[in-house]
Amino acid sequence: MADKAAANRRGVAGWLDPLHFNIERWAYVFQRVTGLAVLAYVVGHIGDTSFFVGGPFGEGPSSSSWAADLGVTENVLGHLVLVMVVLVVVYHGINGARLILAEYGLIFAKPSRPEYPYRAKSLRTVQRHLIWVAIVVAILAALYSGGLMMG
Amino acid sequence: MRESSLMRLQYVTAVAAIVLVSLHLLMQGVLVPYGEAVSFQRVLSVYRSAVDAALLEVLLLVVLAHGFNGLRIILLEWRQEAAWTRGVNWGVLVVTLALMGYGTRTVILAATGQVT
Repeated sequence: MADKAAANRRGVAGWLDPLHFNIERWAYVFQRVTGLAVLAYVVGHIGDTSFFVGGPFGEGPSSSSWAADLGVTENVLGHLVLVMVVLVVVYHGINGARLILAEYGLIFAKPSRPEYPYRAKSLRTVQRHLIWVAIVVAILAALYSGGLMMG
Repeated sequence: MRESSLMRLQYVTAVAAIVLVSLHLLMQGVLVPYGEAVSFQRVLSVYRSAVDAALLEVLLLVVLAHGFNGLRIILLEWRQEAAWTRGVNWGVLVVTLALMGYGTRTVILAATGQVT
């Protein structure tokens, strides 16, 4: 009994177990990973943009401080980071919109009696297409943003 | 706040963030060319516009509330102990308010400070 209970506690590593997962579960894993990534960027971005006013000890808009900040962020590596941020933030936003609609039951089909091959019919609706919309639009937005910054 | 209220807050801030982040991304590269959007004069004029500065402030508060409540949810799901729950709730609240304060300071100084 104790062993069985322990086996069910997989912790964070359990997020990455690919077995028995449907696409909704993968969308959930990516929602959390992208959420943490966006949060890390936001914290950094608040620190980075504070150099517009001279950093933690600045007192007002400073062109020299901002030029120094842009010197750190405006290069190929900085632009690649921004492209990755666009990728994860667009996915997180569209998939998040799907989750809110799903939470209120707006994009599920009616549950029905299980029939072979026992796939949940309630899930096989527009909500599943929205996951692919999130993935495809995120990739397109990332490529577009890369073009805007490099071009 | 009850967890159900916090979850509603998570959805409300999510919808607000979708609108505000979309606008922010459009202003930082699509409607305004990227090179111009990060230039000192352009950023200064954004902060000196009451509407634009207020939008940045709201964006700051909404995204921090949503992001750190999300982190809190992940941390509480990770371990279930009373002490852990209390520690995470208070720790996340303190960090969130500190960052809201630091970001708000940037907005206020950028909007009203002496330009050098």
